[in-house]
Amino acid sequence: MIIPYLTALTTYFSYGLLFAFGQLRDFFRKSVDWWSASTLQGYAPICLGLEDFYIRRLYLRIQDCFNRPISSPPDAWFDVVERVSNDNNKTLKRTPKVNRCLNLGSYNYLGFAAADEYCTPRVIECLKKYTPSTCSTRVDGGTTILHAEMEECVANFVGKPAAIVFGMGYVTNSAILPVLIGKGGLIISDSLNHNSIVNGARGSGATVRVFQHNTPSHLENVLREQIADGQPRTHRPWKKIIVVVEGIYSMEGELCKLPEIVSICKKYKAFVYLDEAHSIGAVGKSGRGVCELLGVDTADVDIMMGTFTKSFGSCGGYIAGSKELIQYVKYTCPAHLYATSISAPAAQQIISSIKVVLGEDGSSRGAQKLARIRENSNFFRSELQKMGFEVLGDNDSPVMPIMLYNPAKIPAFSRECLKRNVAVVTVAFPATPLLLARARICISASHSREDLLKALEVISTVGDMVGVKYFPAEPNKQQGQVKVD
Amino acid sequence: MANLYVRAAPTTDLNRNTEWFTYPGVWSTYILILFFSWLMVLSVFACSPGMAWTVVHLFHFLVTYHFFHWKKGTPFAEDQGIYNRLTWWEQIDSGKQLTRNRKFLTVVPVVLYLIASHTTDYQHPMLFFNTLAVFVLVVAKFPHMHKVRIFGINADQ
Repeated sequence: MIIPYLTALTTYFSYGLLFAFGQLRDFFRKSVDWWSASTLQGYAPICLGLEDFYIRRLYLRIQDCFNRPISSPPDAWFDVVERVSNDNNKTLKRTPKVNRCLNLGSYNYLGFAAADEYCTPRVIECLKKYTPSTCSTRVDGGTTILHAEMEECVANFVGKPAAIVFGMGYVTNSAILPVLIGKGGLIISDSLNHNSIVNGARGSGATVRVFQHNTPSHLENVLREQIADGQPRTHRPWKKIIVVVEGIYSMEGELCKLPEIVSICKKYKAFVYLDEAHSIGAVGKSGRGVCELLGVDTADVDIMMGTFTKSFGSCGGYIAGSKELIQYVKYTCPAHLYATSISAPAAQQIISSIKVVLGEDGSSRGAQKLARIRENSNFFRSELQKMGFEVLGDNDSPVMPIMLYNPAKIPAFSRECLKRNVAVVTVAFPATPLLLARARICISASHSREDLLKALEVISTVGDMVGVKYFPAEPNKQQGQVKVD
Repeated sequence: MANLYVRAAPTTDLNRNTEWFTYPGVWSTYILILFFSWLMVLSVFACSPGMAWTVVHLFHFLVTYHFFHWKKGTPFAEDQGIYNRLTWWEQIDSGKQLTRNRKFLTVVPVVLYLIASHTTDYQHPMLFFNTLAVFVLVVAKFPHMHKVRIFGINADQ
């Protein structure tokens, strides 16, 4: 990532100023509260020390840019509910007004988020036949024929012998990692892995080491050092080593360097766990994810995980692997034994959307969607880069973060875009590093060319106003207009 | 100056409270803030440059002692409190001692002390307070003082 030096200095200074003002206000609040009597004598405080400082003094100031409620399905255009605040953003109230905005924030990669002509009638029929909830865990009474069909469908789609599906994507990572590895094992995870993986790794009890984001050489160094050292204190050999990487990193839009990482893991006999939450269904010629795109054999990746919330318009997550692995998981994973199974209409949506993507519904809509999302992402990214924005991410990836850096530009960009009816998602500290705040754009197959051109126009105007065009813009080649000098 | 670009290398530090210190530009920002605060003190109090440096040095002592060596934990709750017993100084660079960042942060108060004492011509009341401040700060940053709480001051229950 390339940052202009002056921007780095001003960003640190801005955060320093915000921090200083926050501390000053906290100091006065504490002095004022010392004098007023409290009704809760003798109770322990809920937050320890400074734990809620960031929320109270930094996040609440720009709270109206996050958590915006919507009142329609998250298609290419959707309704954003307006909110007002009477006490300077400490509390927000919904108004009855809605704005119709262009949706650049939803993970709607293949356009299944809104009603689909093949999926929705089947889902409604399934809802009437099976009702919304299975009201039971998988092992008790919650496995319907839909669940079995869905797991087979997913396993075929991903290219593995067997798969198991859970009701929630976050839970898939945080409940599977403790089952696969325990104390005496080693988990090596990429430094920018999602919170669900970090949570699962911490809950497993294994030793966790981190390698520099997407740097296979550093992964090799960490592996060599850890294998030579062995377990902490006893120095015995590790029971097993799992390397956890993601297909597309949601905050960077970058593809994982999978071929190199898989070859290093094979060399040192470590297992590979690939989290394809954002890449399954969105990249690859037939939508089978990052393995297809980068030419990695699925037999080389030991555990493939993914979610259905992004490209398939449903909910839930899956784990795909060998038959023995899935059988073992079915006996031990608490998310399978004790959690309610995935709702039947959601399962039907998964089956129908996979059928559309593979073309098994009898039309070529799946292939069209995949071609459209690839075209849209490449067009949008190249246009933004030509305008001078710093856009991260590789070609073909539908996620593109635009770097903002300064903390004041985050609410400015978000609010100005909303005024012009474009809804973008801005991400700041602590989801991203302090210096690297960004606006993350997710392109969908349901965006038409006019939608993208409107978005480009709005983003360009707002970018000029806010001052985020950090790179020199390329000279404008006239698009179809002939300039007469 | 606006066209100078730096490359931000990805870090392996998972602690969001301290990883911002590994990106480029932090050292320069720190030094520039000290310099501008000296100018501000000079313009507000209209005192001699030496007194202004002494004021900056003592204020710097109070602020950095409070935030680096007194306050424990992190200002957000996402890390589930695993750093709640560690001060910021004990958290940076994941507890590794004698890294470049730590050496820089130890040198800054010493340089400030030298500037403050030189510009006040080593005169008495200022010299005493300056020396006390730099002594406390440098001792607090020694590798041997990692996780040490003298007489139980600032220890947890």
